[in-house]
Amino acid sequence: MSLSFTELVGLELAKQALLLLAVNPALTGAAIAAAVGSGKSTLARGFAALLPSGTPFVELPVNVTEDRLLGGLDLEATLTAGRRVIERGLLARAHGGVLYVDGLNLLDSDVVARLLGVMADGVVRVEREGLSDVHPARFVLVGTYDPADGEVRRGLLDRLGLIVPFAPQTDERLRAEVVRRNMSASGSGATNEAFEDDATEMLRAMIADARERLPGVRIEEEQIRALIHTALSLGVEGNRADGFAVQAALAKAALDGRGAVDDDDLRLAVRLVLLSRATRMPEAEDRRKADDHPQTPERGEEEEGKDGDESNAAPEPESQQIEDLLLSAAEAELPKNLLDLPFAMQRRGKSGSRGTALNSRRGRFVRAVEGDPRENRIALLPTLLAAAPWQKLRMQNEELRKGKRILNSRFSILSSDIRVKRFRDKAGMLYIFVVDASGSMAINRMREAKGAVVRLLQDAYVHRDQVGLIAFRGRQAQVLLAPSQSVERAKRELDVLPTGGGTPLASALLTAWQMARQARERGIAQATLVLMTDGRGNVPLQVENGEVPPAAQAQKAQIQAELQKLAALIRADRINAIVIDTQANYLSRGEAPKLAEWLGGRYIYLPNAKAEQIAKAVS
Amino acid sequence: MPTTVVRPSTLDGRQNGKAPPPTTVNYPFTAIVGQEEMKLCLLLNVIDPRIGGVMIMGHRGTGKSTAVRALADVLPMITRVAGDPYNREKVEEGDPLGLGHRKRERIPVPVVDLPLGATEDRVCGTIDIEAALTQGVKRFEPGLLARANRGFLYIDEVNLLDDHLVDVLLDVAASGWNVVEREGISVRHPARFVLVGSGNPEEGELRPQLLDRFGLHARIVTITDIEQRMEIVRRRRAFDADPLAFLAAWEPQQRALRRRIVAAQKHVTEVEMPDDALMFAARLCMQLGVDGHRGELTLARAACALAAFEGRRRVTADDVKRIAVPALRHRLRRDPLETTDAGERIAQAMEKI
Repeated sequence: MSLSFTELVGLELAKQALLLLAVNPALTGAAIAAAVGSGKSTLARGFAALLPSGTPFVELPVNVTEDRLLGGLDLEATLTAGRRVIERGLLARAHGGVLYVDGLNLLDSDVVARLLGVMADGVVRVEREGLSDVHPARFVLVGTYDPADGEVRRGLLDRLGLIVPFAPQTDERLRAEVVRRNMSASGSGATNEAFEDDATEMLRAMIADARERLPGVRIEEEQIRALIHTALSLGVEGNRADGFAVQAALAKAALDGRGAVDDDDLRLAVRLVLLSRATRMPEAEDRRKADDHPQTPERGEEEEGKDGDESNAAPEPESQQIEDLLLSAAEAELPKNLLDLPFAMQRRGKSGSRGTALNSRRGRFVRAVEGDPRENRIALLPTLLAAAPWQKLRMQNEELRKGKRILNSRFSILSSDIRVKRFRDKAGMLYIFVVDASGSMAINRMREAKGAVVRLLQDAYVHRDQVGLIAFRGRQAQVLLAPSQSVERAKRELDVLPTGGGTPLASALLTAWQMARQARERGIAQATLVLMTDGRGNVPLQVENGEVPPAAQAQKAQIQAELQKLAALIRADRINAIVIDTQANYLSRGEAPKLAEWLGGRYIYLPNAKAEQIAKAVS
Repeated sequence: MPTTVVRPSTLDGRQNGKAPPPTTVNYPFTAIVGQEEMKLCLLLNVIDPRIGGVMIMGHRGTGKSTAVRALADVLPMITRVAGDPYNREKVEEGDPLGLGHRKRERIPVPVVDLPLGATEDRVCGTIDIEAALTQGVKRFEPGLLARANRGFLYIDEVNLLDDHLVDVLLDVAASGWNVVEREGISVRHPARFVLVGSGNPEEGELRPQLLDRFGLHARIVTITDIEQRMEIVRRRRAFDADPLAFLAAWEPQQRALRRRIVAAQKHVTEVEMPDDALMFAARLCMQLGVDGHRGELTLARAACALAAFEGRRRVTADDVKRIAVPALRHRLRRDPLETTDAGERIAQAMEKI
């Protein structure tokens, strides 16, 4: 047998999240990031065991088709019964229970859109193929995913109350424990099983008790204010998260058998609801305000469990106190690199995501539509479904029969019945590396850029991606490698490139923009610029044209204006950009972040960028 | 058709078959905190449907769908021929449906949801499959467009809708008629509705032709005022805890709004637009380089509806100013080098006049 919920070691935060969800379905769902083999799917299935028996637990395969998802006509039953019989989709079947997705980040954008609609309405509305039907579909969504396979779509994450961030398992003892428990589970663990049954039973009772308690749990205005303030400081988008945070705190209090929310509950709510939605570090202003406050000594973990002491304080300072507490807790939890957070990462553009396109030839079968069978692949079952209802009618139609448009008298298919397949396919992506070959760091930069290019080209075959390379030094930028999939050529060009000299950044942007536009004309819809530079352009565009460089001050302003304009053009064309700042001195950064902002792109500080890091950051 | 309220799962193992039908309780429109631009745009369309609908763009979790669904409850009733699938006010002699002799009935203004994934035949209507299957007869089964006649058609996430469906919708919205030719059946029925779309700018751009067809374009943003956000959480919790009690508490405001809407609908045709207000609208469109005359027309209609909503019979230049941003922001020429927000550009242009 497999491991149960209580047996799983590690994933503590995920377990907490699921318990809160079991207590308070108003949280709508939980997204759990965890690596392969960490037991995340076992966890989700174990979760089902904690719910009252008979609660539906429906697993949604990531390659689900629309009619399986929403429901459609049941062909056999329809023909037999002589009336429409609708087969309910997975979403309707999950009503009153749990919908589980393993690989939340692998769901197709269409499926995500439908899922979001149903979650918002609490019903499945089927309006297709002559069917019109409404089923209730209120469920909680539990989704697990491996962040190594990409991020979950933000619209979906936003709808889920709880987001458990990725936490690599670093404790050796825990790892050992996981292995040990797994071993005993696969072997004969009769005694263990009995023990675990008890533990599961106990959790079930706890949850049942907490659910009864939940409606009576109190939360103070000041506590709500503190949660909202924290959300604001972290730059959480939208107003939905406030409500989730309150619900999470209430659930935690209920689970702990309390009738009122305490600091601990708030902290957990921040961790599970707000933190993963952060798009920025708490603002300096917020911190200053906190520091000015007299009653903000280190109220830390050791004060847990105390009670009564906060009710003495006046309301205003108290709210301030809680806010400080939450903010410092949040800060401690925030990863060093904000880009590790799903919302911050996706904040500007969708740098990682490849475009997808519906087409008639290859990819994943998404839906059947009317179409010309000569140019498309016929979807047989949908065609039969389309023809089925008309059989009686057509048999009566003399004209049709005389005109021999019905080939045999048993089943008639007219051209209007023909359905063809539509597929969704990953569209290829063009990466344009724009590498600063000027200055002293150039040699190192070029080497690592080359490594990254080679790495990406090796993956390129899989994704149908292409890579181009532009270097800039001296007076202007130079295309070293036109978009291609040739690793060898890229290597050769890079080997012979001289380095040092001026920094014609504007020329580089212009060249990259042109390359992206040309690619678009050839059908590569999505381009990503990867700029490796410190952002300090010092050669204006005009120099190329042989004009005399103006005085230094004017020249600087001119360069800035040029860069800004070019960046706006790139942005307007929806070309993704990633600026990798190679400035060695941390304190004198500033130009590259500005460039990233103009481009509406991501900014990554990697002074000693290694090929591996770059390739990882980009793809 | 009333829409459902978001009720979280009960997780109590209740099986589908036995579950009660979805509760039909909407969050009250008047209890929505903030987002004044969106609310105003919706109300103006209720007062004068010729304004041409509204496109609501904004972040997730800002209450777009809540507002549209809540709208149904403050709409006045309309009169239709009893049981008419097309919600017609009167039916000609010899109507194929044979409804000519029927009495009239009062129904709420329909607000119809167009779900993503809806197929064309369900939107436009098709032959009644069941009748064909069992009795072998051809009978037209009206679709969502019929249901939406004289009401609202709401499309959440317009930018994710299939292109061909968008084209169909725009054609029907523009002509006011839906024509279906299928399996030897030919039907033409009225389909006048206010198109309300919502979308998230990050999910993909809207085709400019599509954007242009919406009369107004409202933008909504995350509320950053703490007190307002407290109020949102407070009201939401009260609603979730006891929807019916919450509705009862808000009924006076709802009733007051309904009365205002009815009065405005009655008087909107009498509202005068003096020359100076018209000139202002025309100058503004010229200043901003808005192509065609749709801009001025929308400005004029929306300004009249606004005046009617506030119980006035004369439009002022101030009315035009107040609705200029949602009426024009999606009609400005796109300039890739222009970084100023459309709203700001309109505000600047108004100052110059």
